Amino acid sequence: MLNYIWAGLIVSSFVFALGYDIRDISADRYRNGKPLPVSLSFPTGYDSAARRVPIEIWVDSARYAGFYGVSGGSTQHYTGYLLQSREGIQIRFEKGAALPEPLATIAKVSQSRDTEPQGTLVGSVPGPHVTTASAGVVFAPVRFVKLNAIASAALDFAKTGAEIALGLIGVLALFLGLLKIAEDSGIVFALVKLVRPILRPLFPEIPPDHPALGMIALNLTATLFGLGNAATPFGIKAMEELQTLNPSEDTATNSMVMLLAINTASLQLVPPVLLLALMGTQINTLIFPILTTAVLGLIVAIAAARLLGRLPGFRASDPNRAPQA
Amino acid sequence: MDTVRDGISLLSYFVLPIILVGFPLYGIIKGVPVYESFVEGARDGFQVAVRIIPYLVAILFAIAMFRASGAMEALTKALDPALSLIGFPAELLPMAIIRSLSGSGSAALVVDMINHYGEDSILVKMAAVMYGSSETTFYVIAVYFGAVGIKKTRHAVPAGLIADAAAMVLAVWTVRLLFG
Repeated sequence: MLNYIWAGLIVSSFVFALGYDIRDISADRYRNGKPLPVSLSFPTGYDSAARRVPIEIWVDSARYAGFYGVSGGSTQHYTGYLLQSREGIQIRFEKGAALPEPLATIAKVSQSRDTEPQGTLVGSVPGPHVTTASAGVVFAPVRFVKLNAIASAALDFAKTGAEIALGLIGVLALFLGLLKIAEDSGIVFALVKLVRPILRPLFPEIPPDHPALGMIALNLTATLFGLGNAATPFGIKAMEELQTLNPSEDTATNSMVMLLAINTASLQLVPPVLLLALMGTQINTLIFPILTTAVLGLIVAIAAARLLGRLPGFRASDPNRAPQA
Repeated sequence: MDTVRDGISLLSYFVLPIILVGFPLYGIIKGVPVYESFVEGARDGFQVAVRIIPYLVAILFAIAMFRASGAMEALTKALDPALSLIGFPAELLPMAIIRSLSGSGSAALVVDMINHYGEDSILVKMAAVMYGSSETTFYVIAVYFGAVGIKKTRHAVPAGLIADAAAMVLAVWTVRLLFG
């Protein structure tokens, strides 16, 4: 199942990215190679010998809309400078200029080494002693924006994935250490006895006195009190305990799926800290609907995990049922 | 309602300290070499973190690509007519889809909706309930199954997604019932 979803995500991103890019190219959305009309003014005057001339750039809304075939917008004003060399005149916008679409996308491709939006000035080169001029700006051609975007998103998030995992090391070490104490001192077994009547029906595969039930209880308690940082190590430890009961190495047991389903439903008595921060005092009125929804979601999760496990396909792949090699 | 909430949040201040202090304290009373036990257990922290990297990278990059490609908007548009039949507002569809895929992405959507509709709006309330009442299924799968090297997830994904879908629809209905 995950194989198909995963491949589906990747393939459909490629198909959609390519589709959007081809649409953009055939509609000439970025007007590659054609000059965008702008007006320039020279606050310190124009000097044809200077390498760098400060300018103000005015982009008229009507001409901009006509040029790119977009609607709305207001006349925009930016500061920047002209960079004059033997190869011609480059026009550079101030770094971080708030450009409207599609110019914002173009600027991501057409930019200087210091990430200033940049284009080539075409048309009449201003004469000496002028204070304003009309000109056109040709930007570097923009092609296959979405294809580029999915590639860079993949690279970015590969990095994010490793960062998240490595960021967990400290917290994981702390709670796995505490859990080892809990195991050695018998807290886990005491907990197992306490929660057995509640959790046993959900996890019939686990032997009655196995520490896995205690770890699951700790995981659920931490989740219940909104302690995500503690819940994750407890959940991982619970999975490790379940794995010791698993006859197969890489196939999930029914208990594992049940633990996962319960965790994805995330029943919390205390709302997530992030939501508290975002919603402020509004959260008070939302506690009740959040709890109701989470409880009902939890029931659906448990029912789904239990019922899907009975389907013939999933029943056949159950490591506890499959013929042992 | 307020006192219940205050009581729960007061209690939640104590859960972590009780674990942090209570476990070692109980251990030393029981004669467990607590320091040695702690270090032995903590040693696994690094291995577990490293073990989940391939699973997290696999899940996160595929979802990032999907979002960057614009396929998300297309999916939203395609599902819209079906969902309006059960009274599901179209504005919440991106939230409903992204909730199972990305935790930071769905938090960003809540922020976006607050800026757009204001904290008091019923849409924001629905989005907040969606965020608060469910977890990022694919992240949970990557971390929990990754930690023990489970590759064949069997019915974990469908079960998680069914629960998510139910939570999304229920969030809309409960908020509408209470505030609508």
